[in-house]
Order: sequence, then C-alpha cells, then structure tokens
Amino acid sequence: MPTASAAPAHRPMDLLDRLASPDPDIKLKALREVKNQIIGNRTKKLAFLKLGAIPTVASILAEADSQLADGDVSIVDKNSDYYNNNIIIQSAAALGSFACGFDAGVRAVLDAGALPYLIRLLSNSDEKVVDASARSLRMIYQSKLTPKYEFLQDKNMEFLLSLLNSESENVTGLGASIITHSCETIVEQKSLCDAGVLNKLLSLLDGSLSQRDASLESMAALFRNNPEVISKFLGPENGRALSSIIGLTKDRYPRTRLLACMCLIVIRNSSSCYLKDIGIKTKLVYLLLELLDDPGQVGDEAPFVFSSLITEKEDVQKLAFEANALDKFLNHLQNSQLHPKRFQGILLALADMCSKLESCRSRFLSMEVLNSVTDALSHDSADVRTAACICIRSVTRSIKNLCAGYFMNEVLVVPLVQLLNDPLASVQVAALGAISNILVDFTRGKSTFVQCGGVKQLIQLSKSMDSAVRLNALWALKNMVFLADDRFKQGIFMEFTASLLTSLICDHDACVQEQAFAFVRNLIDGSINSVEYVFAENGIILDAVRKQLESTSKAEIGIQGMYVLGNVASGNEFHKEAVMQQLLSQVNNETQSFIIKFLQSNDSRLRTAAVWAVVNLTFPSSPGAFCRLVKLRSAGVVPQIRNMVNDPCLDVKLRVRTVLSQAMTFGDGLS
Amino acid sequence: MPVRVVETSAPSQISGANSEQISPPFCTLLSVGQAFSGTQNVSSLQKDEAWRVNVRIQGCDLDHGYLCGTMEALNVPMADTPVVTFWEGEIVDGKNYTFFTGKWEATSEDDIRHWTKFPSFSPFLCQVEVDGGKSLDLSNYPYIFMRWKEQYFVNVGTDCGLTIAGFYYVCFSCTDGSINGFYYDPNSSPFQKLELKSTNEGRSGFSFSSYELQ
Repeated sequence: MPTASAAPAHRPMDLLDRLASPDPDIKLKALREVKNQIIGNRTKKLAFLKLGAIPTVASILAEADSQLADGDVSIVDKNSDYYNNNIIIQSAAALGSFACGFDAGVRAVLDAGALPYLIRLLSNSDEKVVDASARSLRMIYQSKLTPKYEFLQDKNMEFLLSLLNSESENVTGLGASIITHSCETIVEQKSLCDAGVLNKLLSLLDGSLSQRDASLESMAALFRNNPEVISKFLGPENGRALSSIIGLTKDRYPRTRLLACMCLIVIRNSSSCYLKDIGIKTKLVYLLLELLDDPGQVGDEAPFVFSSLITEKEDVQKLAFEANALDKFLNHLQNSQLHPKRFQGILLALADMCSKLESCRSRFLSMEVLNSVTDALSHDSADVRTAACICIRSVTRSIKNLCAGYFMNEVLVVPLVQLLNDPLASVQVAALGAISNILVDFTRGKSTFVQCGGVKQLIQLSKSMDSAVRLNALWALKNMVFLADDRFKQGIFMEFTASLLTSLICDHDACVQEQAFAFVRNLIDGSINSVEYVFAENGIILDAVRKQLESTSKAEIGIQGMYVLGNVASGNEFHKEAVMQQLLSQVNNETQSFIIKFLQSNDSRLRTAAVWAVVNLTFPSSPGAFCRLVKLRSAGVVPQIRNMVNDPCLDVKLRVRTVLSQAMTFGDGLS
Repeated sequence: MPVRVVETSAPSQISGANSEQISPPFCTLLSVGQAFSGTQNVSSLQKDEAWRVNVRIQGCDLDHGYLCGTMEALNVPMADTPVVTFWEGEIVDGKNYTFFTGKWEATSEDDIRHWTKFPSFSPFLCQVEVDGGKSLDLSNYPYIFMRWKEQYFVNVGTDCGLTIAGFYYVCFSCTDGSINGFYYDPNSSPFQKLELKSTNEGRSGFSFSSYELQ
C-alpha cells in the first residue's frame, strides 16, 4: 500500500537560497531544515560552512532580534511576532548545532558576531527564545575557541548569578557551563566563591540530570588548585557537599558518575587533606575502570580522568595495579577500532601507570603489547602518536630492561626515529623523550640507532628553532654518550663539531645550556683521550664553559659546568693547567673566581661539584699539584674550602676533607 | 650445575609509610657510571683462591632504595672469558629496606652474623636486633649498607658452571668509595669476602658522567 513519502531534503545550495527568501514562511522552513540536516553530521556542517551559511543564519538572527527589539513590524503579516520568535529559535538552534563539537563552526559563529545577540536574547520575554539561546550558548561555551567570560568586569558577575538563579534548566546549565569554560585564575575562583556561586551550584546537584552534570563540572573548575576555596566550601558547616558529590559517584547515569569522580579527584589533587582514605581512592579506581567500558563519550573520557587520579601518585598507582588496571587498559588496547581520543587516553593512562612502578613496567612488558603501542607511533592522529611516545617513555624507565638492552631494537627504534621528522614539534619532543631513555644502553647496541640515521637526526634537531626540540635532542645525545666507547664518541663529535657545541653551550635558553654542558661532561668522561675534545678549535668549548659559568645564576648549569671542569681536571698536567687558567683568568684584587661563588652556594649539589674540581686539581700524584694548591690558596679557593669542613651535606664535607688531606701530603702550611 | 636465580619481584615500592624518614646520603662516589675494582675471595677448604672483580654502577633510584650495575669476574677458572653478571641492590634506608633481608634464605640471624662483620655496623647492632633498623636515621652516616643480588649472566649462558644463587651483604664507604662485601649462599663457602676500591680508569682524579631518564 502506498504511503506518503517525507519531503525530499533540499541540497545545501538550494537551502541557502531559501534562507534569503523574503517570505518568512520559506525562511523559517529553510532554517529548520538546515538545523535538522546538520545535527550530529560533521560532513553537512562542513558543506554548509563552506557555502557561507553561518554568517547568513547569524544575520537572520540579528535582523529578527532587532525587529523584535524595535517593535518594527516590517514583515507585513499579522503573525510577524510568531515568525520572528520562531526564526530566532530556529536560527539560534542552528548556530548552536554548527558550534557543537566542531571548531571551524565555532570560529565561524564567533566571526559572524552571533555571541552578543545570543546573550541579549537571554533577556527575551519569550521562554522558548531564552531556552533556545541558552542551549545554543552552552554549545558555544564548550569550545576553547570561545573568548573567556570576564567574571570580574562590570556587571558580568551579576549577570552570571542571574543565569544561575533562573527557573530555566538550560539557563542555569549555561551559567555553570560559562564557569567551566572561563574560570581559570585563583582570583576568579575566589570571586565566584565570595559571590555565593558554590552554594548555588550545590543546590543544582539536586536538580535535573543536565544541571547536576553542569554543576559538577563547574565545581571542579572552581576547586582546581585552590585549597582555600575547597576548605571554605567543604569546611565543617558544609560537610554535606562532599557527601553529595560522593553520592553522585553511584548515580545511574555514567556521565554523572564520571563527573563526580573528576570533581573528587580535583579536590584530592588540590587539597591533600581531603579524601586521603585508601577506601575512596580504591573506589575511584574501580569506578573509573568500570566507566572505561562505556562505549560512548564517557568511556573515551574515563582514561583521562583515571590519569588525573594516579599521575605522580605512586600509592594510587599501586592500588590501580592491584585492581588489575593495567590488564584492563591493555585489553582495551587490543581493540583495533578504538576511537582516537580513547586510544590516546588509554596510552596516557598506561604511561602514568608505568611512570614510577617497576612492577607495572614488568607486567606491561610481559603482556607483549609493546607492538600495539609501537603501531600507534604511526597513527593518523598526532595526539595518539604523542601519547604512544609518552607511554614508551614511561615503560623505558625500567633500568633493569635498559641494562639488558631490551629496548634497543629496530621494531621500536625505527618508528621513533621516523617521528623525528614529524611535522609537529610536540610529536618530535615526545619521540625524543622516549629515545632519550632508550639510548641509555649499556650493551653497546647503539649501532641500531646509528644505522637508521638517528644520530644525524639528533644533531640536526639540536639546531632546531624550537628550544624544546633542541633541549630534548641534546638530552638524547647526552644519554647516548654516557659510558660510550671512544670510537663512538669520536664519530658523534665529528658530526657535532666544536662550533655547534659551543653555540649550544651559549644558547639563550638556560635549559638547553644545561643539557649542552651535561653532554660535554659525558663526552669527556671515560678514556683520558676524550678530554681532548674540549681543546678542539683552540679550546672554544672550554672558553664558552667558563664564560657561561661566570655569568650564570642557575645552579643546574653551575653543577654541570663544574663537572665538565672537574672531568677535564682529572686528566693530565696540561688538562689541569687549562682548568686553572679558566678558574683564575679573570681573578684580580676586586673580583673572585666563580668557583668561590659555587662553593658558597646553598645548593649542596653545586658545592659538591665545585669541590670535586679542586680535589682533581690538587690530586697528589700529579706533579704540578702543589703549585696549583698555592695558586688556589692565593685566589681564596682553599680558604673557602677550609671554611666548609663541617658542611651540612655529608658528601661535601667528605670531599672537603679529601682536599685538605691532599694538601697535608705536601706538608703545606695552609693557614 | 649452576642454579639460575628465580627473578625476584622488583624492589618493594611502597611509599608514604615512613615518608618522614630521610634517605641515605647521596654520595657522588656511588653514582651511576662509577667503577670499582678489587677481588672476591672464593677460598674453600681445599685451596685459597681470589677472583679479580670489576663493578660498574648503572642505575640508581634512591627514592626506592634501588641500585643496580654489573659485576665482572676476571680470572674465573672455568670460564674462557670474564663473566659479567647484572645485579640489583637494595639500599638499607629504613624506608624501603631494613637490615633484615626477609628472603633469599637469609634469616635475621644470618643477617646479623654478616652485618656484624663490618666494623661500621657496630653502633646499630642493638637497635637492629629490635626492629631491623627501621627506626634508625642513617642519613648522615658515612657508610651505606646494601644487599646486592645478581639477577642474570650478561655474557655467558647459565651453563657456565657458576652460580648466582646467593647475594652480597655490602658496606660502602662514602669517604673513599671503598666497598666491602660478604657473599651469602647457604650452599657456598661462607663469608666469601668482596673488596673493591673506586677506580680512576687511568686518570689523575675522579671523573663523573651521568644520564637522566625522562
């Protein structure tokens, strides 16, 4: 039997023509159709976007809004208000839909200037208009592209409170979404708290599903890293609040459970006096593992929330390990159809699990899933590639497996080296992090890395414009030359050249300088011949080391620099004299050597490094030791060391005693 | 027949329990890359014998009381080449590990019998008998007590005729970097002494390198 068929969908181009129609009926129908076509359809959104539909819809909204505001009934129709209201409702809904989960759409909506109109419509007398605008604005405020709402400006706080106090569920939800989107600083958190926002949000926890969820999310934004707000809110007079949030972890809706977990984790991470109980931590672990099974967005987000629970928290990582979290994540990893976001989240959760506990790394390696992670290195999504690198970086912290050369193999190294060519610097940096660990290899297996062009790449990246890339490339090189044999080091130095090394020692980024120093320190360790590298090209490296040490105020640079000089000073007479020259070249009656500044440092590691250099310069078996001792005494170095004989740091104290006992062997009257 | 040691789990990594306690001093002479050489006395009733031994520190994680490295035995009669083993160490810090081994077939009596062989241990004896040294503050003491347990042969097979079933009680001197140790294996000669000194590897002084894991 024949049935009535639905009206055929118009093509985007035709719909655009119809949007421009002067007939309000056609216009309204067209708007409705646009809205219906784009809901949840990214392809359609893009098609309409390319045709310029968003500015068109925005201007329809603006026009209808101004007509309503002016009472200008230019549309000669007895139902003009009906049309105007409906046109506003449909166009607001369409704009919200364009913005929903689609950055290009958000950008176009913002560029079209729709935001102020939508905000103004919240004061409209028609509830449906208000609702549609609030709904649309909630979508827009989900995006990071949307400009921050300035709570502290003019009457913005008042307006926000009016939203939160509204009878409309969508309007209160919008208020909460704005907080989630825009509350960032401690001052903002405090002002919102002082304005009574938290109590309002607490009352919304008893509201509808969407109000609860929005409230939990915005509470987390208010609590994040702000123990003061947390204690004010969760203090004795408001103990109910915490119980309410804990109660919502048992809610029937997975998203509510996830957000309640997130909120509790934010509280725990921001204020260590709450939720210390092992029971709640264990409960959160199990809840989040359960939410991981949700097939939708909740399951995609669960591993990220899980990460925030365990990151840097070894005790919780251990609980998670005991709850078989690792196995659960690894099982999910075997699913080849993983959504990129979920894939990324699982890799990052695995990275956190393996960040500190060797037992986790062992389990990870025994599960033989490293290949799945290695495959992720070539994933289309840059986020997944980065997460895979971070996961490998964590697993390769296993000293035991590094010592066994377990990670230095082509399956792992080749794709990582390929990522050094990734167009995104963030991916390069993540790959360098993993490579840095793998290059700590004691089995002389570094040829795998050399053969796939890794060394050349690292040296090339040490010249990058991006300082994070330079830093991490140098970090990897530093680890690579640690205890490397002479031939290997020579090859690297020839590629590197003394001039490039010098320029990195003088890099404008102090962290790069530190890595460059540490690289030189390792390069000249080992065979005594290695010391010669710092004398290449008329000793430009050594001169640069001195210049940086004279001017630095960063202890880490001082430490690495003094170990460079100390390692040179453990060489032959020529080497030791060269160090003396660097230490004392600028010293006269008015200035003192930088080594004295380091010996007086508050950082015991720096004092240790500085004393070691003096131990080596006065090493008794070397012929010029006495002469150097005399010079160091004249320059004030030895008297300073004598003052350190009861240094609070044991290592420093013992090294100071070594220097003094070496001096005694010369029968030198040091006083 | 060599006995392959069943790999023990990684060092216990419970934190927080005694977090107020301070870790033992970090001593540069015990840092990664440092090398030591000396001998291990393997004499039995039948004959006097000592093997030359080289040790290199490869990893150090003070938070977990963990140290590891390689040990190379040079003139092993049954082996054609030097025999290299990988060992993992437990640092007695009162937080991660106490003087009581609690495994590897070592009773607390065995522990005390070995620790008391180090003169530097004597101030702690009474307390260790009470609680294994859990309450001791070793943070400013110029000796570091450890247990080193060989985990696997690096360059030879398990059929090399050697055993790594036992473990070493070790005392490191922060002052001069010397190491004394006693090998304990109920099935081997008792109190085989390990004596190592910090080496300069041909230099007139001390050289230090380092790596950092990301």
